[in-house]
Amino acid sequence: MIGHQLALLKREIWEHRSIYVTPAAIAVVVSLLTLTGQVTVSTFGDVVDMAIVGASNVDEEHRRVALLVMFIGVTTVFSLGAWIVMVFYSLDSLYAERKDKSILFWRSLPITDAETVISKLLTALVVIPLAFLIAVVVTHLVMLVLTSVWVEMQGGDAGHLLWGSAPFFDVWATFLIIAIAYPLWLAPLVGWFLFVSAYTKRSPLLMASLPLIIAPMVEKMIVGTTFFWDAIFVRTFRPPLTSIDLEVLFDDDRAHELVEQNISLLSAIDLGKFVMSPSLWGGLIVCGLMTAAAIYVRRYRDDS
Amino acid sequence: MSSLVTARNVSKHFGEVRAVDDVSFEIEKGKIMGLIGPNGAGKTTLLKAVLGLTDCDGELSVLGLDPFRQRKQLMQNISFIADVAVLPRWINVSNLLDFMSATHPNFSRSRAEELLRETKVRKDAKVRELSKGMITQLHLSIIMAIDARLLVLDEPTLGLDIIFRKEFYSNLLNDYFDEERTILVTTHQVEEIENLLTDIMFINDGRILLNAPMDSLADTYVEVATAGENAVKARGLGPIAESEMFGKSIFLFEGVAREHLEGLGEMRSPSVADVFVAKVKGARK
Repeated sequence: MIGHQLALLKREIWEHRSIYVTPAAIAVVVSLLTLTGQVTVSTFGDVVDMAIVGASNVDEEHRRVALLVMFIGVTTVFSLGAWIVMVFYSLDSLYAERKDKSILFWRSLPITDAETVISKLLTALVVIPLAFLIAVVVTHLVMLVLTSVWVEMQGGDAGHLLWGSAPFFDVWATFLIIAIAYPLWLAPLVGWFLFVSAYTKRSPLLMASLPLIIAPMVEKMIVGTTFFWDAIFVRTFRPPLTSIDLEVLFDDDRAHELVEQNISLLSAIDLGKFVMSPSLWGGLIVCGLMTAAAIYVRRYRDDS
Repeated sequence: MSSLVTARNVSKHFGEVRAVDDVSFEIEKGKIMGLIGPNGAGKTTLLKAVLGLTDCDGELSVLGLDPFRQRKQLMQNISFIADVAVLPRWINVSNLLDFMSATHPNFSRSRAEELLRETKVRKDAKVRELSKGMITQLHLSIIMAIDARLLVLDEPTLGLDIIFRKEFYSNLLNDYFDEERTILVTTHQVEEIENLLTDIMFINDGRILLNAPMDSLADTYVEVATAGENAVKARGLGPIAESEMFGKSIFLFEGVAREHLEGLGEMRSPSVADVFVAKVKGARK
């Protein structure tokens, strides 16, 4: 069982190279940008106060926050990439094999449809986020190493200024939690994508997104309520993962307050609230139903 | 129990269309059964039912299993080539062998590698880089490395040139087939495989027109070429088909004893294709 599942997961990575190529590409681009940024600053070295760039003129707390913001900024780019890969992967996963007819080969092997579909669900919810998380950690380290070399070249003490202040554990532990929890929160959407991928005869992206847009509109016009709107759009971007209101980050004054409090990311995570959220479990049930429907379609449809 | 496949009153309807219509047959161990029919005759639907890819009415048992409900167990002992194009194009050969070893309990990697060494297929090549003939060689090598009790082939050589087609069947016969194995093969190019079949089944419009051992065909079917008065006599004996060639009438008889036909003209065993055409035309009348 587990042997099968590992082989199936490996197969998904062979087939969908974007799972590792995309995070690797983003990592390379971000690292190059770090490098160019430093080269540029060095070129204008005369007019830039080295003390400011080296961040040696601010106290440790602010340095910590600066590094934190840098870490978060980089991670945001990766999260966006992970989102895109996850959506396109799940839409393609059960569609491509029908389009190229390889489904006939896969189904000639002693593997059940359930095993196959579950491997695709696990790829979307676990493998892709982990691939991106690994790339995030590597990129953070590469950026710090590059910056250290630069700071040392400017005569600064990188060990003290950067490595001593970088909140590694806080950031990485937080992102690990998010990389596990947020996909679970998105599970109903991924389940929907898998189902459409198994079901549709053409253009899975269109077939998956149209109902997501039309359902809330129709509901609003006919019933006047916003259940679908809330369930699809509002819910997706608001996982109950934090104990603080994330909008604070967009408000300069209050963000400043947070800095003053020297807040750690990890302490902002509220796993209890997340696990107890009925919306999480409702979403997982929807995901289960959608996955079951995808398995059913792959097994019973007779147009292969 | 030597019967590997048993079908009793098997039907499959798509709406009004009866793709398979009340079909009954058995396939015994150690046989090579050819399922012959024109396009749209129901061959593929019948195979899909045998492979558990589609549900059907009636009673169907394959290796003692219900193919649709016990597919996973079934697939451990059946191998299947649908069409040359079904190997995933993105995979490379060695990954494919890895995957097979990890998921198929009866797959022998070393056997597959041995078979592949006989071909030009490189292990680091991707399927999309291979020619159509090489993809078939790869697929056949994989299938032959599975210790399966039943091998099902659906038009396995479609679109291949004559060299690969000949090679395909000779490999299958020489390196794979033995009395422990059973093969079920469909094609509409019957002349290509008639020499290797032990049994033959004709299907048309979802119904079986003929189901017989190959060596019984020569006893059952006789072709007589004659002219003039003898042709009138021959016609009186109820041939199932009649055609003209080089000024002679050719009659095809089914189940008429040779002694009745002797003296009427030149007698010979008809080709499977001729019998097939006669049966299909007869069924359409």
